[in-house]
Amino acid sequence: MLSKIWKNRLEFYPFLCMYLFWFLGSFVSSLRVENRPGIVALGLITIPSLTLITIAAVKTYKELLLTGDTNE
Amino acid sequence: MKEDLPDAVSSMPVKEFDRKFGFVAYGLLILIIIFSTYLHHFQPQILSVPSMIDVSTWHNPTLEQTNIYDRMTEAERQKIMTEGIPGRGILRVVFDTQGDWMAFLLAALCFLHARRHYGFWMASCFLIGSFVFTGLQESIAILLGRFTAGAAYVDAAKQVTYGTYFFCKGSLWFIETPVAVCLSWFYIAYSCVWTAGKVFAKMGILGRATIGGLTAMGIDLWLDPVATSPEFMQWVWAKGDLIRILGINHSNFVGWFLLIFWFAILWEWLPALVRKWGHFKASIIFFSIVLASDIAMLIVLVLYNTYVVRGLLALLGLKQGIQIPIGW
Repeated sequence: MLSKIWKNRLEFYPFLCMYLFWFLGSFVSSLRVENRPGIVALGLITIPSLTLITIAAVKTYKELLLTGDTNE
Repeated sequence: MKEDLPDAVSSMPVKEFDRKFGFVAYGLLILIIIFSTYLHHFQPQILSVPSMIDVSTWHNPTLEQTNIYDRMTEAERQKIMTEGIPGRGILRVVFDTQGDWMAFLLAALCFLHARRHYGFWMASCFLIGSFVFTGLQESIAILLGRFTAGAAYVDAAKQVTYGTYFFCKGSLWFIETPVAVCLSWFYIAYSCVWTAGKVFAKMGILGRATIGGLTAMGIDLWLDPVATSPEFMQWVWAKGDLIRILGINHSNFVGWFLLIFWFAILWEWLPALVRKWGHFKASIIFFSIVLASDIAMLIVLVLYNTYVVRGLLALLGLKQGIQIPIGW
């Protein structure tokens, strides 16, 4: 599975970008914020967006299983 | 989409056009960035760039007239007053968790993806188009706030405003918007619209643009309160918006949705424009529409913020602006 994803990593770049942006820009950064009770828990508000991005990533993987590698 | 192009277009010397288009479009963009960066860092008096060291010199808005001021503890206020904006050294600006490096890297990854799927020209139209569309929109809003204190709102709706907002940190600048912010618009818009297209493949462009815009806005609902906290202060908002969500002017979230929604629609027109006009004329038309849309979007946002929001609040029997949730 991982080798398949790595081989076709370019197909996952948009999702990787959003995960990285979310993880570093929001999650890790929110841990550094003081005097704002609930700022980390506020991340729950992004669940619908993250769910959609995850569905798209899984769908991309399933398509790759059906169609083969894109860079072959 | 690339596959949809008819033979007449596909058989054009696309590589030759790509080379010339890339040279002119990226060349112009780089020149504007160099000039803007020079103005911002070395001639700040020309555009009245607020000092990041001495915040007592701020004007439209002053520190006291920003949203963040009310949310700061007295200790946080004193720290900002004595030490200036946190993390403003070039290394912190570039390599922080919200630093410029992330925007440059992620934009490059999305560009590679776009080039693979749509070709160099369409990928570049998305990159440069979204960059200019959002960078210009943000810069106009920032400069209007800085030099008029949001007079449009005052005149139209008897609304007390202290400006709009401005960015505090950035290595490279496009007018008064950090290049990292413009690139972030690009990769967020591209990723979200791509995600919407992947999940809802059979949906039309209006539906995909709507879902793409909402996806981006969902992510932004958490990012903005973090990025504008006293620990980061990537940008600051002036008081005056009638609805404040999580300490952020609600027009920010409306803007996020509208900009991505509208740009996605514009960009998907490109193949139709190419079929009708060819690559060169399609490029001119596309960027002209992008620039015209900037002006139109600004007017729409001003009208929305004054008449629609004020009317809505009046309907609800509210005489003052509201904060959601209260206390944020």
